[in-house]
Amino acid sequence: MAGASSIQLHRHGSPRRATAESPVAKAILIAITLVFFALFLFLPLVVVFQEAFSKGLALFVRTFQDSYTQDAIKLTLLVAAIAVPLNTVFGLAAAWSLTRFRFTGRSFLVTLIDLPLWVSPVVGGLIYVLVFGAKGWFGPWLIDHNFRIIFAVPGIVLATVFVTFPFVARGLIPLMEAQGIKEEEAALTLGANGWQIFRRVTLPKIKWGLLYGVILCNARAMGEFGAVSVVSGHIRGKTNTMPLHIEILYNEYQFAAAFAVASLLALLALVTLFIKTYAEWRTEKQLLEAARDQHP
Amino acid sequence: MSITIQNVTKRFSRFPALDNVSIEIASGELIALLGPSGSGKTTLLRIIAGLEFPDDGGSIQFNGHDVSRLSAYKRKAGFVFQHYALFAHMNVLENIVFALRVMPRRMRPTEDAIRTRAKELLEAVQLTGFERRMPSQLSGGQRQRVAFARALAIEPAVLLLDEPFGALDARVRKDLRRWLRAFHERIKLTTIFVTHDQDEAFEVADRVVLIDKGVIQQIGAPADVRAAPANAFVSNFLDIPPRV
Amino acid sequence: MQERMGCNFVIAVSVSIESLSPHPMTSPSRPRKHALPGLGLTLGYSVVYLSLIVLVPFSALFLKTAAGGWEHFWGTITAPRVVASYWASFGISFFAAVVNGVFGVIAAWVLVRYRFPGRRILDAMVDLPFALPTAVAGIALTALYAPNDWIGTYLKPFGIQVAFTQLGIFVALTFIGLPFVVRTVQPVIQDLALEVEEAAACLGANRWHTFRRVILPTLLPSILTGVTLAYGRAVGEFGSVVFISGNLPFKTEITPLMIISKLEQYDYTGAAAIGFVMLVASFLILIVSNSLQSWHNRRLGIS
Repeated sequence: MAGASSIQLHRHGSPRRATAESPVAKAILIAITLVFFALFLFLPLVVVFQEAFSKGLALFVRTFQDSYTQDAIKLTLLVAAIAVPLNTVFGLAAAWSLTRFRFTGRSFLVTLIDLPLWVSPVVGGLIYVLVFGAKGWFGPWLIDHNFRIIFAVPGIVLATVFVTFPFVARGLIPLMEAQGIKEEEAALTLGANGWQIFRRVTLPKIKWGLLYGVILCNARAMGEFGAVSVVSGHIRGKTNTMPLHIEILYNEYQFAAAFAVASLLALLALVTLFIKTYAEWRTEKQLLEAARDQHP
Repeated sequence: MSITIQNVTKRFSRFPALDNVSIEIASGELIALLGPSGSGKTTLLRIIAGLEFPDDGGSIQFNGHDVSRLSAYKRKAGFVFQHYALFAHMNVLENIVFALRVMPRRMRPTEDAIRTRAKELLEAVQLTGFERRMPSQLSGGQRQRVAFARALAIEPAVLLLDEPFGALDARVRKDLRRWLRAFHERIKLTTIFVTHDQDEAFEVADRVVLIDKGVIQQIGAPADVRAAPANAFVSNFLDIPPRV
Repeated sequence: MQERMGCNFVIAVSVSIESLSPHPMTSPSRPRKHALPGLGLTLGYSVVYLSLIVLVPFSALFLKTAAGGWEHFWGTITAPRVVASYWASFGISFFAAVVNGVFGVIAAWVLVRYRFPGRRILDAMVDLPFALPTAVAGIALTALYAPNDWIGTYLKPFGIQVAFTQLGIFVALTFIGLPFVVRTVQPVIQDLALEVEEAAACLGANRWHTFRRVILPTLLPSILTGVTLAYGRAVGEFGSVVFISGNLPFKTEITPLMIISKLEQYDYTGAAAIGFVMLVASFLILIVSNSLQSWHNRRLGIS
């Protein structure tokens, strides 16, 4: 594994003279990169905020006073409040079982965990419609019992859980893998039981990786569009999340309003990036220390 | 506490790490498990500790009780890891008293008792005043001593050391070797340590167990082994010219 | 030193040794395999969770597809409009991924090797497509490239229209895939052994030659891995594309949209059929990516 072996980990290393490009080449490359990023990263972001305020602050504020918008925000928060903790518990359990033990089927499980990242979100919503929709497996049963999953909040929660469950696990697995189990074994010889080991030894070690996973899980949960679009029914005030509400506003040509709501999510994205970068940095420090301790 | 290892075999893959190993260890003995890397000595130590379990048919007994299937956290075997495995996010004090803090409530000593014990242990390893230091701020030898103190906090019946001095420089190693021997003279705590350094084994141990490829080659007091190596492996490993 | 340590230790330990007796220990009769606890609980929970969330619903996909019968299946997935959507989803994704491959390598190189003000911010921003909700990206890109707005205005005189054309889909998919190549290649560039480049320089190679013959081959596995990841993501992408594409039948409809339209017609089996195709495609891309990653890891191990 390259990371662990190169203790000469010169991250963002010092300038290298003998192997540096000519200043002209450098300038061109930097320019290309800047243009590429500006075009594909910065401009879209700028557009969101600019368009949000294009009809003035008054409209911006009024958008958020609209009850449908508020319902959309509340639903988004509710869904995230359910999906993120559920997936966090799953991520912790999966990471523990996959990194502290060896058993057959391990790699299958790891691949399964990555599945939502490969599958189209629309397929992610489709599968729940196939199970719970009106013509799905449990459709008739649900109708008889007057319980709705598709076109109702439970369906949205399910679809969101599906698309976001890899994130916490993927944040934890490489970290816990690299940290090794020696400290946990030491705790075991000192008389600690499973919960004590987890709470006192493992959790403090993984907290930054955990934060990283949770923050990404949350960002995706709040912003999910494709999967939720399939299961939601787009019922204003009831089954509309913020991204869906943006779509509705946009299709009704209420562009400024759409961008106003979008700007809130864009802000969330920026905060997520910020926290993520910080958590990543702290995790890397821990990984470096772990590597160093293995080769004192 | 006496330890009986009987017919212990351990397979991780096709080739056994340990092959039908049996050893009798009397209470209070200081035993060295000596052999080249990959010989299975660390595996045996971990099995005694309860960090691994022997394949069917093998058993480990403490004072006559079969503990083969008992998990490490019930065995009270103090274990010092090769790279110390200190809890990196806890300071020295918290590391040392960890075992006391995780005891079941009814057995747990009071905070004052814990603190007193911590003081005693720190004094014993000459690290008084280091309570609040973090492991990353300690030298190798200091971490070593914290690991020792931590393992002793549980009042173990047996002390297991996995290449305890391997990561230290030569001079510190010699000092700590002598210290271990002297400590053992006073306490007579059954101790088993793993090493690939024959000088270490012969200088410190009451008896030496030579292992190669998971099979015991010879057991005996250092002088006896030197005088009468049992086979070619032993003579080669110890650089003793074979007897004619 | 030894004596003093030993003495104090005696006091500390010998008292407790006296009271030593092994705890009444009972061995459980079940044979144990793992010392660390929790395997049963955590693995059990994970497997149940995954079964409920993933395996059961996906089996519904397979079964529904099969239930519809072969003719319906084949008819659905080869319908002209659906086939046209394959080009949008699979074909354009490919070009987007390739473009990301090229510019992503340049960007990764610049971010790792060069120092300039704002580099850290740029580095953090690379993950924006990952963190930004797809719908937000979708409307932003549409606004950006619509004929009368922002960039669209500048392109109109040239007769280039981006929004509501396949070019628009291309732009959106490039946005989506941007982080993948950059983030996959960056660590490899960081770990490049400097001595190798210096050796090449000493042997008379200029920077371009060094790059082409020495650095690029080392980076190739990771570049391909990143491109595959970007491709996999682009193929399934919905939210970012569906606004800027305009959804013109036979021209700019993407395959996920076909699934939705089938569902709206309550043609569950049809939707399942197309979903199945997408799943198989994702699976194939996943296999390719995994093999590339093993190649990647093996290469790193050697270098």
